[in-house]
Amino acid sequence: MSGALANVPIRAIVRSLADAAARWADADFPPRVRVLEAIVARTGYTLPVVEYALDRVFEATTEPALTATIAGELGSLDVLDGWVARNGRGSARALPAGPVCVVSSRTTIGVAIPAAVYALCAKCDVVVKDREDHLVAAFFASLVQEHDAFATAARAETWSGSHDARDLSGFATVVAYGRNDTLAEIRAACAPEARFVGFGARASIGYVTRESLADERSAAAIAEGAARDLVLYESEGCLSLHALFVESGGAIAPDRFAALLAGALDRAHVEFPPGERGAGASARLGSARALAAFRAASGTGSVYGDEAARHLLVLDPPASDPPLLLPRALNLHIVDGPEDASAYLHRHGIAIEAVAASGKREDVVKMAVDARAARIAPFGALQSPQMEGNHGGRLRIADYIRWMTEDT
Amino acid sequence: MPYSSESGELDAEILRVIGGWHKHGRGLSDAEFEDLAQRVFAYQLRYDEPYARYCGSLGVTTGAMPASWHEMPAVPTAAFKEATLATFDPARATLAFETSGTTQGGRLTPILGSADTSASVRVVGGRHYMETRALYDASLLAGFDRFMLADDAKLRYFNLVPNPADRPQSSLGYMMGRVCAERGDGNTGWYLRGDDLFVDAFVADARAAIEDGAPVCIAGTAFAFVQLCDELAERKQSFAFAPGSRIMETGGFKGRSRVVSREDLYASLVACFGIPDERIVAEYSMTELSSQWYDGAKRIKHAPPWLRARVIGADGKTLPEGVVGALVHVDLANRSSCLAVQTEDLGAAVGDGIVLIGREQGAELRGCSLDAETLRAIR
Repeated sequence: MSGALANVPIRAIVRSLADAAARWADADFPPRVRVLEAIVARTGYTLPVVEYALDRVFEATTEPALTATIAGELGSLDVLDGWVARNGRGSARALPAGPVCVVSSRTTIGVAIPAAVYALCAKCDVVVKDREDHLVAAFFASLVQEHDAFATAARAETWSGSHDARDLSGFATVVAYGRNDTLAEIRAACAPEARFVGFGARASIGYVTRESLADERSAAAIAEGAARDLVLYESEGCLSLHALFVESGGAIAPDRFAALLAGALDRAHVEFPPGERGAGASARLGSARALAAFRAASGTGSVYGDEAARHLLVLDPPASDPPLLLPRALNLHIVDGPEDASAYLHRHGIAIEAVAASGKREDVVKMAVDARAARIAPFGALQSPQMEGNHGGRLRIADYIRWMTEDT
Repeated sequence: MPYSSESGELDAEILRVIGGWHKHGRGLSDAEFEDLAQRVFAYQLRYDEPYARYCGSLGVTTGAMPASWHEMPAVPTAAFKEATLATFDPARATLAFETSGTTQGGRLTPILGSADTSASVRVVGGRHYMETRALYDASLLAGFDRFMLADDAKLRYFNLVPNPADRPQSSLGYMMGRVCAERGDGNTGWYLRGDDLFVDAFVADARAAIEDGAPVCIAGTAFAFVQLCDELAERKQSFAFAPGSRIMETGGFKGRSRVVSREDLYASLVACFGIPDERIVAEYSMTELSSQWYDGAKRIKHAPPWLRARVIGADGKTLPEGVVGALVHVDLANRSSCLAVQTEDLGAAVGDGIVLIGREQGAELRGCSLDAETLRAIR
């Protein structure tokens, strides 16, 4: 372990990270402009979507956000620089747990960056194993311009799949994102004492209460937000809207809300044009659309789409149908209350990352808690997690820290 | 409603087409196909209520007929699980085939080389009812004769597919049962029951066939072939079947934890059975159809003239030749159910055939997001 950041004060580290992020938040920052094309090529997303993602990642990485998170989790920033007395418990120090590897072989955009940022705040050496677009490598290059120590502390490599798993035995902490079998494979390659931070397959949902459907204007605002939550990243992220529950009994009926959402999607497609869609996804979408239309013709549910097949909304599908999990495609379930949503999630065994809710009614919050969600957000903000948030319900920096205490 | 004269007339006409091609090699011109398709479609709009409602919702009725078969609404295969798609009372069905019990229908979904990790698959079946056996039998035999038995060979059939005596609801089992009864040498073998493969019986019958000098046709799903080849390799056993022997492979690793590439599978088949690669023919169809596609030169699939496919994009419109999209089959032998069937199988039109790509099992995951395959495995 090089410990390149060992003697760099935490505030200097935080400042460097925030300053580099601030430069990256500028759409005209040359390194950012240079990676755009590669990100578009890798993800298939359109340029406005990629720009939006980069704005979200880097605008969130601010000195106040990092400072607040670290202080919140560790008690103070100073504990990363030296011994800090704790009320009645002796002194403590937060030392780097050891080298960290972030395996980010295929994620949406910049998912590995918050993990890397907090691992660097913990003064760990960090290797991010990424693919193709070199976003992380370019960001790390900017860090070096802020402080020389990052040249050794932060490295980005290309992940070539399971063969690379053999190289994970030297890391104290391994962070990985992916499907459960991939995580199991990576976990098996870690050293026995290593900390494994796995972000497995999760989905996000939305819940619209009847109270929030009090009038057309409120309903339209929710629909605008839900449309954004659905279209960003082609519905591929764990924070994408994968199922929407709409309560009956509001002034605006669910079918009117669905129509509003369809209209909002037409507008969202303009702001965030659809990305490249493979033949397989198109085939599954076509099949799902045809099945929904077949059911609708028999009096079950409704289907909303457009001629160009940019989106698919299915109102009131059978509860036995799992989420569509297709680009810009969404099932809208009409429910009497959150217990119906809970039953649906339970029935399909869906692990939830976040819940977009139109109101924080107690039973809605309980549904989110019961679903083990890590976050509740308003519609439209589902895809914009805060740097202080807890991805996967985990602390941000704590996984990279080794505590040492001094007895009184 | 009993078997009507209208149904009988249509069946007779379709049977004439099948017979003309089967016995005399007469094809169907575009105009002839169009004419017959329009009449079958109009008939289905009158008698197949769920299909008519669906078409009506899309603005297609007997009073507003589509300009061509390309515009006939196709039902997704999953619709066979949702409704009884039949032009007659299914209580009178002479055949009723069930989909294989996976979430996505069709019995044959060639996904050679794709990674399907769904170890557990929800069992939800659909049914395809046939009013008479005549069309189904005539269609399958004509296709098999043309594409598998062009040399009129009398073969011994070894089947790695369900025995119709055990599983009458299997369309593949029924098809091979008819073929064996009509074209076999009387020594047919069945080696698959459920997931059990009877390798000892196969080995014994294989030895007998070789001793008799009898050419064989081994018919099976890709997955059954993999199992058999694995077992034979473990036993260090291989065969050299008589010249003229052949293999009919039909796709299917769906719901299986292991997949192999087509190249690897065919290399194994050549090594295990001594049957040359050019004698291995891939067949492709599904429970929801009455006719089959078969490999031709360069592994381009061809169908008898009463079965055509169009390749569609996301908007449902027909794609140009060579562009990959979803396959929609229009099968005139589906007279008593629904002639146009939309699948999730990918392919591209090439000349008068198709290149089958199979079914993509879901886009590669983005990080910690959930995809359909993972969800299916969880469930």
